[in-house]
Amino acid sequence: MIETTQAQAAGATPAAPLQNTPLTDTGIAALAAEKIRARLPDAILGTYTYRGETTLTIRPQDLLNVARLLREDAELSFRHLANVTSVDWSKYPGYSARERFTTVYQLLSTNSWRRISLKVPAPGGDSPVVPSLTSLWPGADWPEREVYDLMGVRFDGHPDLRRIMMPHSWPNHPLRKELPRGGERVPFSMTWEDEEFESFGKQIIEARAVQQVPPKQADANKHMILNMGPHHPSTHGVLRVIVELDGETVVAAYPDLGYLHSGFEKQGETIRYKDFLPYTDRSDYLSSMCNNLCYSLAVEKLMGVEIPPRAQMLRVILCELQRISSHLLWMGTHIMDAAGMSHAMLMYAFREREQLLDIFELVSGARLTTSYIRPGGVWRDVPPSFAERVGDVLRTFPAKFDEYEKFMNDNPVWRARTEGVGKLTAQQCLDLCITGPMARASGIPMDYRKIRPYSGYENFDFKVPMATEGDTFARYIVRLEEMRQSLRIVEQGMKNLPDGPVWSADRKMVPPPRQELDVSMEAVIHHFKLWTEGMTPPKGEIYECGESPRGEEGFYLVSDGSAIPYRLRFRTPSFHNLQALNTMSKGRLVADLVVNIGSVDIVLGDVDR
Amino acid sequence: MGLEEKLPDEGFVTTTLEKAINWGRKYSIFPLTFGLACCAIEQIAAGGSRFDIARFGSEVFRASPRQADLLIVSGRVSQKMAPVIKRIYDQMLEPKWVIAMGICASAGGPFNNYAIVQGVDKILPVDVYIPGCPPRPESLLYGLTLLQQKIQHERLRDRRYGQRSEAARPLRETVASPKDAKVAEPAVRYEPKAR
Ligand code: SF4
Repeated sequence: MIETTQAQAAGATPAAPLQNTPLTDTGIAALAAEKIRARLPDAILGTYTYRGETTLTIRPQDLLNVARLLREDAELSFRHLANVTSVDWSKYPGYSARERFTTVYQLLSTNSWRRISLKVPAPGGDSPVVPSLTSLWPGADWPEREVYDLMGVRFDGHPDLRRIMMPHSWPNHPLRKELPRGGERVPFSMTWEDEEFESFGKQIIEARAVQQVPPKQADANKHMILNMGPHHPSTHGVLRVIVELDGETVVAAYPDLGYLHSGFEKQGETIRYKDFLPYTDRSDYLSSMCNNLCYSLAVEKLMGVEIPPRAQMLRVILCELQRISSHLLWMGTHIMDAAGMSHAMLMYAFREREQLLDIFELVSGARLTTSYIRPGGVWRDVPPSFAERVGDVLRTFPAKFDEYEKFMNDNPVWRARTEGVGKLTAQQCLDLCITGPMARASGIPMDYRKIRPYSGYENFDFKVPMATEGDTFARYIVRLEEMRQSLRIVEQGMKNLPDGPVWSADRKMVPPPRQELDVSMEAVIHHFKLWTEGMTPPKGEIYECGESPRGEEGFYLVSDGSAIPYRLRFRTPSFHNLQALNTMSKGRLVADLVVNIGSVDIVLGDVDR
Repeated sequence: MGLEEKLPDEGFVTTTLEKAINWGRKYSIFPLTFGLACCAIEQIAAGGSRFDIARFGSEVFRASPRQADLLIVSGRVSQKMAPVIKRIYDQMLEPKWVIAMGICASAGGPFNNYAIVQGVDKILPVDVYIPGCPPRPESLLYGLTLLQQKIQHERLRDRRYGQRSEAARPLRETVASPKDAKVAEPAVRYEPKAR
């Protein structure tokens, strides 16, 4: 009874598409441009290639047709909409000639795993409008709402365009360039007579009751509307779900986000590249190493800097350890939610996780917010006892994973609550822009470590665990198997860890070591420039992503040649994955909703940013 | 072991009611199951097997504010969440205490921007502030022991229902609009700065 097809499917290598990748990103973009020109001669307004990737500027009225063509053409098949964002150009040097707002889309081909970016100048000046992509990708819903909320770009044809992050009464669109970052000076001591006392606390919005109005699609006359969260023990943070119920059956579940919206992007656009790194720890706080890595990759790509092999290997090792620790926490909390086996699994998971956190603490000094992987390398070389500690993990963990597997797979409660629950087909995953273990449990072999290897992942021998059932149980199997594969990667990494520096030698990005300052005037200048000004990437736009434990973690950066990012967009997996909640829960019992939330593996910091 | 050995064979022990009640209260603080951001993960870790918050009598995390004594604000408080937290706090019954865990809850931390309230003490009275980003579980436990000390020295009178929300707010108390808010006499009078 325990032997399931899922168990067999897990661990299978992804199917053929991976092999046929003859084209580069620019190559496939050229092919795409050719096809678009043949069908829609006036659609392309411009082509821009930077660091090996191409952006096509599309006329707004042709966007839908172009996107449909890119998506449906068998050869191109750009079926994954990776990112939707927008840029406000009003403060960009030499702005006048353009439209003020531009929306930007990143598409990934599921055929060749190549990427293309589309850019659409939004007509309408200060109140821009562009066509919505929701008719092609229902998953464009939330990203477009986010763009509307934070940037004020309206999407024509969007079914439900309202704010998503900020409170509904918020007066402005905070990412617009004319608005300051906000915030205030924090007085750490104060008397009644201080002038600031008057304005103190003005920032607070009135503590009114939480808005009870269900979304307009909900039928409150026929069905019962149930509010869940934002303070609810099984929403894994401050998620609010408005559930429309018919008896105990879920008719629809509308997540309400933004209760942890922290203004990451605005913050990033007001501080230097280097200074944003610690923030990446704090968005998805369960996978800080992976976030650090994705951000570092993006900045390094923008700067065009190579990283020495030792640093690359250390990055991979630590990211994989992070993946294990993140999955462990997921397993503990999810199983506690679903099977209610008191705290047993949570306690086991935390026991193992502490061992990993000790390693992070050893290398970086912090348990959660590591900031260890930095643009240009890693913070410091690992201490000598690192190898021994990792060795302990490698020795003890496999047996523990086997134990968990036996414990869980033999558990009738767990199986009854997960098998067949929260089903997603591969097509639904693509439509909803879902990535990571969720997509892989539905049979999409999308793992950036394999399909677009970065940081030396191509040199490792590992499998991408896959399943085809697409239910909650399959996702559990996939994540469990991923932990085993991560151990394999760590093992290989430790065996082949090369010697050498852990910082890039590029002085545009990394300050020279102390001894060099004594002998070289040039080094002193570099040092001075870096510490006073910071790194200054050339003008350009890039998108770079990696595989975090939850899926595609991407950064879209626009540089105006200064030391501060002009635009910083943070594409997070939890935000996109959570969109599946409605599809997964529809027609099931409300008790399954809790299981589904857990199975998406959200981190609210990652959802709301 | 302790008290039993010290008891006389016959007779009684005297103490004040206040001391006895506070002694009982301080060793059974039930925190609310409530997490906001990164700090919440360390809060869970404090409840885990390694740090074991049960040693301090606080392992019973209650999911309902009506049953909880302690609100640990573990993470950044967004503009959208602030009213919710206020409401949760209001739903808790006296006696109740608040720990601001981490720099975000204490003073906004790294997020000095439009989205984050610069310290939860703008909407609720805070008893213990724990620095750190995130504070280690040990710090949380230390904060808890500080709170226990504080509770031991509390006056029961100050815990009357409604007392705290009206009068005994700390200096930093503010409500939606500070203009028309009645600012109560602070417990400690601060001397004005010489100008
Ligand atoms: S104090 Fe630091 S760790 Fe805690 S919520 Fe704030 S950013 Fe996260």
